[in-house]
Amino acid sequence: MPIIETTQLTKTFRVPQKDSGLWGTLRHFARRRYRLVTAVRGVSFAIEPGEVVGFLGPNGAGKTTTLKMLTGLICPSTGQARVAGYDPFRREPAFLRRITMVMGQKQQLIWDLPALDSLRINGAVYRIPDEECQRRIGELSEMLALGDHLRQPVRKLSLGERMKAELMAALLHRPDVLFLDEPTLGLDVNAQASVREFLREYNRRYRATLLLTSHYMADITALCPRVLIVHEGALIYDGTLDGIVRRFAPFREVRLELAQPAVRECLGAYGDVVSVEGQAARLIVDRERLTGTVAQLLSDFEVLDLTINDPPIEETIGRIFARKDPA
Amino acid sequence: MEHRRYLLTLRRFWAAAIAAEMEYRLNFVLATVTSLGNLAGSLFGLSLFYLNGATLGGWRWQEACMVLGLAVFMDGFSRTFLVPNIGRIVDQVRSGTLDFVLLKPMDAQFWLSTRNLSIWGLPDMLYGLGIVAYGGTHLGLAPWRYLRGVLPLAVALVILYSIWFMLATTSLWFVKIHNVTALLRGVLEAGRFPTPAYPRVYRVVFTFVLPVAFLTTVPASAVLDRPWGVSWFAAVPLALALALLSRLFWRFGLRCYTSASS
Amino acid sequence: MRHLLHVLRVYTAVSYADMMEYRAEILLWILSSIMPFVLMGVWMQASLNGTLGMGPTDFARYFLCVFMIRQLTLVWVIYDVENHVVQGTLSPRLLHPVDPFWRFFCDHLAERLARMPFLALVTGVFFALYPASWWWPGLRSVLLATLCLVVAFLLRFIMQYAFAMVAFWSERANAIEDLWFFAYLFLSGYLAPMTLFPEGVRRLAEWTPFPYLIYMPTRILMGQPTDVVHGLAVSAVWAGAFFIIYRVLWRAGLRRYSGMGA
Repeated sequence: MPIIETTQLTKTFRVPQKDSGLWGTLRHFARRRYRLVTAVRGVSFAIEPGEVVGFLGPNGAGKTTTLKMLTGLICPSTGQARVAGYDPFRREPAFLRRITMVMGQKQQLIWDLPALDSLRINGAVYRIPDEECQRRIGELSEMLALGDHLRQPVRKLSLGERMKAELMAALLHRPDVLFLDEPTLGLDVNAQASVREFLREYNRRYRATLLLTSHYMADITALCPRVLIVHEGALIYDGTLDGIVRRFAPFREVRLELAQPAVRECLGAYGDVVSVEGQAARLIVDRERLTGTVAQLLSDFEVLDLTINDPPIEETIGRIFARKDPA
Repeated sequence: MEHRRYLLTLRRFWAAAIAAEMEYRLNFVLATVTSLGNLAGSLFGLSLFYLNGATLGGWRWQEACMVLGLAVFMDGFSRTFLVPNIGRIVDQVRSGTLDFVLLKPMDAQFWLSTRNLSIWGLPDMLYGLGIVAYGGTHLGLAPWRYLRGVLPLAVALVILYSIWFMLATTSLWFVKIHNVTALLRGVLEAGRFPTPAYPRVYRVVFTFVLPVAFLTTVPASAVLDRPWGVSWFAAVPLALALALLSRLFWRFGLRCYTSASS
Repeated sequence: MRHLLHVLRVYTAVSYADMMEYRAEILLWILSSIMPFVLMGVWMQASLNGTLGMGPTDFARYFLCVFMIRQLTLVWVIYDVENHVVQGTLSPRLLHPVDPFWRFFCDHLAERLARMPFLALVTGVFFALYPASWWWPGLRSVLLATLCLVVAFLLRFIMQYAFAMVAFWSERANAIEDLWFFAYLFLSGYLAPMTLFPEGVRRLAEWTPFPYLIYMPTRILMGQPTDVVHGLAVSAVWAGAFFIIYRVLWRAGLRRYSGMGA
């Protein structure tokens, strides 16, 4: 029984269009022109309880809009979404108590007061009894290593500490479903690692479902066995991380070091030549024909060294995003 | 060459500010309507005195209207040129964006004072001058009489700007009192009535402590040729002194400025 | 219900702590609304010729009451809501299982508590400067006036909150509030006792909610006969009407709220 399920979810916005300059301003003032922008286009997927799913896509692909539709902040134009058995847009209190959304750029902590005060508010709002609230604060601050920072005004914390405090506030009520929009944005390497570790532990301990977006591949590779890729509003891939390479980049990189200086024309028969430098060469070879080609190379040439690499995943994904019409 | 660059920059600033505001058409209509409402109410408030047989320091209705008209004009002027700029200085100090301004190859006081413009205050400026004209016409003033008010009015605008800017400069030290200019606008309300209408204590305060008298009553009395207390010649040195003081105070403030951390 | 009260208590306590960081600002806000004392000066001076039916002391008491009542029933929720909508910080609050209305309401309660000491100070200074105007309204009047003040605050809050819902459609919804605010200033007795108003205007005003926001409590405190029941009934009807407007606009507004950039 999926805990998150969407069926042909679509969202269209009306965006006003204006030319620059004074004349454009006056014309825009008198008569508005609008453009229809489809941010999310017929997206359908299902997520089971306890899964950790990554949500990838270039900027403007529709990730944040989809997340906001799943939390009830935005109403879908057409299509359906169900989270934990509820229709998110109805915003029933019972639903809101089971989910949380962390938006990397937006804060909910009160700026001039210690984080503990904001946590008090969340405790009251989510009906957590006082002793239970204290216990959870202790537990979470230990998992996140925050301790004394909770007593300092939020404005005095560093970005990493503030982010961790925001996470605490968002998770105080032990939601079953977490929506995380760029949770590690702007954090230094150590803070990123500890947030990742924390999320993994949280998922393990409470069997919570996580749906997260991030531009840092390290987040996705560390946390998400399953990945959804959106491109220009449409869902183009739903599967494992390794599957991406297999589906979109079904090739491998072969690096050769030959006894004699390599010749481009000769190597061209075996695959796409990326570069030739003296005795070293790099080729791109289809996965299907990899073993055959390697055997061929080894028998036809005197090979001193041969390594086979996956093309880096960032590159593969970057290439997917850059293509206008990903097949 | 320098002043040409400043003029061009000014034009760009103001074109962008106007374009940004005209994004919101409904607001523009609302602004015009609210200004009209404010005006109607102000005239009503003033009329209450005369309907009940009182006079304001011996000034007639039409003369008091001219003072009110100037007050509305000054209010419109503040909302158009002063509030969008000087009102934002505190926020810039607080968020640290003042640093960007200080790094620009342009005089910071000029930048901060002219960066923005709000068309919202324009209806008030027009209505204010309209009321002045109304009062003057009913008194049978010849058109050239209005010219006598131009210099005192310019002086009044300089005084207003200088005091306002000095108050905003204090935010370089005290970031938490960002509404200190609200205090100024509150005090400006006193300019709606001719200064002779107030009790003696008030009159002293409004002439020597908060120069509200110079903002509306003095220009009005110049047009009306009603010699009143302090001659308007005193206004010119006052304005120059305040302008100079605001500049010096600003430079002093910059030297002590420690920019906000991230 | 018990849960909601607990949430309100926590909201108010935390908000009060936040307000304590801004005490200087609160004092400045109070000082910037000295318009009643400005009007007081003009009316006191105007009453010296005896045609108004009220003496200077009466006007002094009147405007002290006006000032206090205005300060105690102050509402600014529309600016709060607008800020949150524009900056997108309304979204996290929408994810809480409590209507965002309550947080804004409790912010006002906390601010009122923080403001009380300063108001007491201003009252003290007023009587120190003008001891002849001192009077004690009597316990019954004070309690009755307090009830009217609470109703006035709730009415103003719901009216402004209903207007605040327009923030989902226009980024300067406060323009509507400005218009309503002028009506409030001119028809609530803020400018002058309503006995000095022309008959027609007074009749019109009695249909609006405004006289019951300032003029009615002031009359009670000054010991003048007032039809409190009628006043509270009219206020209740207006509050009910605006509550309906608020709920309708809230539903529609949520649908409209794109969350984009928010």
